[in-house]
Amino acid sequence: MNYQDVGLTAQEFAMICDKLGRTPNALELGLFGVLWSEHCSYKSSKNLLADLPHEGSAVVQGPGENAGVVRLNDAIHVAFKVESHNHPSYVEPVQGAATGVGGILRDIVAMGARPIALADSLRFGTDAASQSLRHAVVEGVGAYGNAIGIPTVTGEVAYASGYEKNPLVNVMAVGLLPAERPISARGAKPGSYLVLLGQPTGRDGIHGASLLASQDFGEGTEHMRPTVQVGDPFMGKLLMEATLEAVGTGLLDSVQDLGAAGLTSAIAELAYRSEVGATVWLDQVPCREPGMTPYEIMLSETQERMLLVVRPSNMEQIIQIVAHWELPYQVIGVITGEKVLTIATEEDPAAAVVAPDVLAGACPLKPVPQDWAAEVRKTAEISPEFTPLTWEREWGLEVLGSLDCMSRAPIYQRYDSMILTHTVWGPDHSLAVLTVKGVEEGLAVAVRGPGRYAARDAYSGGMAAVARVLALLASQGAVPLGLTDGINAGNPDKESVFRDLMALLAGIGDASRAFGVPVTGGNVSLHNETHGEPIWPTAVIGAVGRHPHPLRPVLDAPETSGLDIVWINPSGDAALGGSVFESLRQETTAYPRPDLARLAETYRVISSVAQSADHLTAIRPVEDGGLFVALSRALLASPPSLGMTVELSADTAASQLFTEVAGQFLVFCPPETAGRLESAFGQWPGAFMRLGRVTGDGTLTIAAKKSVHYGRVELERTYARGYRG
Amino acid sequence: MRVGVISFPGSNCDQDTLSALGALGVEAVPLWYGEKSLAGVDRLVLPGGFSYGDYLRSGALAARAPVMETVERAIRDEAMPVLGICNGFQILCERGLLPGALRPNASGEFLCTWETVRVASVPLGFEGLAAGDLLRMPIAHHEGAFSVEPGGLAPLFQNGQVFLQYSDSVGQVHALTNPNGSVANIAGVSQGSVTGLMPHPERAMADYLGSVDGRKLLRGWLGEGDR
Repeated sequence: MNYQDVGLTAQEFAMICDKLGRTPNALELGLFGVLWSEHCSYKSSKNLLADLPHEGSAVVQGPGENAGVVRLNDAIHVAFKVESHNHPSYVEPVQGAATGVGGILRDIVAMGARPIALADSLRFGTDAASQSLRHAVVEGVGAYGNAIGIPTVTGEVAYASGYEKNPLVNVMAVGLLPAERPISARGAKPGSYLVLLGQPTGRDGIHGASLLASQDFGEGTEHMRPTVQVGDPFMGKLLMEATLEAVGTGLLDSVQDLGAAGLTSAIAELAYRSEVGATVWLDQVPCREPGMTPYEIMLSETQERMLLVVRPSNMEQIIQIVAHWELPYQVIGVITGEKVLTIATEEDPAAAVVAPDVLAGACPLKPVPQDWAAEVRKTAEISPEFTPLTWEREWGLEVLGSLDCMSRAPIYQRYDSMILTHTVWGPDHSLAVLTVKGVEEGLAVAVRGPGRYAARDAYSGGMAAVARVLALLASQGAVPLGLTDGINAGNPDKESVFRDLMALLAGIGDASRAFGVPVTGGNVSLHNETHGEPIWPTAVIGAVGRHPHPLRPVLDAPETSGLDIVWINPSGDAALGGSVFESLRQETTAYPRPDLARLAETYRVISSVAQSADHLTAIRPVEDGGLFVALSRALLASPPSLGMTVELSADTAASQLFTEVAGQFLVFCPPETAGRLESAFGQWPGAFMRLGRVTGDGTLTIAAKKSVHYGRVELERTYARGYRG
Repeated sequence: MRVGVISFPGSNCDQDTLSALGALGVEAVPLWYGEKSLAGVDRLVLPGGFSYGDYLRSGALAARAPVMETVERAIRDEAMPVLGICNGFQILCERGLLPGALRPNASGEFLCTWETVRVASVPLGFEGLAAGDLLRMPIAHHEGAFSVEPGGLAPLFQNGQVFLQYSDSVGQVHALTNPNGSVANIAGVSQGSVTGLMPHPERAMADYLGSVDGRKLLRGWLGEGDR
């Protein structure tokens, strides 16, 4: 075996030889191969991620751990993170998606937090094959989440031909932990045992990280099937309960889940973070099949395994807990004071001997050209703008019934969204509102990843992704506690892809700074390309916020007639770049760059209106499909007798109805609240418009020179089944 | 009153069920499937979930767990009231303590939705529920299509064993209100002191969750009526 076989470059190999002072043996080479892979080392993105803001008053734990942690109140902390399982989900969609859910849940559990919610963000192509792929991915997400008993409370889906061979499956998990519980992945002390818990190790998922997730797809993926792991949510449930009970005793040094790169990554990371060494007795690892080589055991990505670090004096109590949950376990090694990781087998007590900081901390990172940062922020190339001069009734239905706007019910009804009985707002709303038992504050959870907005201008798209998700929190008056970023892009070795990646992260960084919300961790998935065609750079941003009164979410649809209909559009601009409407007619053009300072001010006002909302006011962020879709969805969520009448000027109606520029809100409110909004937004031309009124006629009427009417049944059918479906 | 909630490995609605019962003021006791005695409980609930991963037929393995011997004896000897919710219903059918079986949904997919169910006949021991009552509760299952052997349906109706049927919001029972392919829209059945239903009453305990009808159902089962 040489260095190319494990995915290393000549330069990296030379560096390893230099650090070790010798040539690594085959097993050591394998360990470096996985840990220095893109998937494990983040070598192309780490320098870019360093630019994101990580500090904030609510931050308990920033990036670098299994998940970020923020403070809900003095007693309860929230652990949350998004993770991708893109490549496996294309090769084997059901298992790929299922193990993606299992993996992110174990990350949360490894933080000592009990998972309480999942959110999924999916991207598929538009061809027929993509629809069966979607069917299988949704089956997989549901199969794991439903069985382990964690509700999938919100999510999003979008479609574009670029995702045909590279679907995206990003899943965010949220968990709760008591404030006094220490963060546990760095407490390993010399003399403590490494206890491997859960599924016996098999030959599944070997090279999942280094070869599957860190390389582009070419011809055929059949031969990659064995690199995908198989999920067992039943074992996952037992493992979760046992680990949380063990963590609850306060008797563990440390916990580390086994994910990408299996034992190799778990032990190296654990030793590196705790600044200790470890000796692993490889023959002790329970294996599912005989004759597994040390290399296979170290690289296996068998799911549902957890590594506990336990002092000898605490073993008995921990083993009792593990036995109650009927989980297989084995002591497979010991923590040592000397910072050396030794893999020992019966034949060779020094089968591999490497320092953890070389293995886990020395992978050379891709440098970022200094001048690029300024360059990406310069105004993007302006594409010829597309402005329809008329407005046709049919266009509304086309947009509402488009793949990106129509109802997601066929997906989310296959997820249990209600188990644990804290889902006040589930997936039929644009964000989730959850109660937290025993306290007044609740959680607002949202996820957005508008890839279309980054298609032509990744910097704009990065800003917009953060703006989109925070608009949802603002509409509830929820205080954002932190963000998690799921970055998905093509092959970073290509200059154009790396440039986009950099621009995307610059956008996320600038926006999170402008809104004053920290990014506490996330995931980067690169090499999402097939036959040299990369996906749109797609930033999936997850957010958790503190909801002031979760039992009573601010309405997102009117419940009484007579209310004013107000449209807030801080930029006053109605450009169609990046919109669904545009994508139905022509190539997507650049998304209008948001004015972040203005958006931050807008969200402050909306949030304060939401916090003081009377029981009549309803607030809905304008999202995909623009104002028309926001009006339609609000109408469909209102009592059947209600209707809406809005007036627009005939020559700008189409742009106004379908623009997706950032920061727009649709507000249904009594005149006093409308007045308050008018005085707040009157300073910016075109930012405040009183469009019309909530009526009692059950119809959406849009008056722009001529009046057009949409009946409720027509809208309902289009939303549920698609345009002419 | 002491109500035991039996958890099998893989049960995942046990905590929700315990808190729902607790909220109704009864003493709710968690019982692990390995325990030999029923700890002096007056009633039992088999909660929802994926016992043993539902890797064989749903509920098939749990139905053969030793604790089910004890449950069966308590039903036979003391007419102990037993309520099976979702996976619990599946387990009771697999054990033969309730008639029929739960097959995969007609769609072949897991389904989590709010449904209205109509009380067809009130099982033994229930208080405060009447035939024709409508209850709004969620379902969340992959195998919820109730089925019986040929000729088995008429006796169920004749004996008043059909407890709940999926209906529309005004209580009409028809094909369009059947979410999962259950025969005759059946969502719950009873036999003696044993009752099973697919909908989750423990998830319909408060207005903010979408409905309080679960309280009515559980109170009814507890024999307390709808106080």
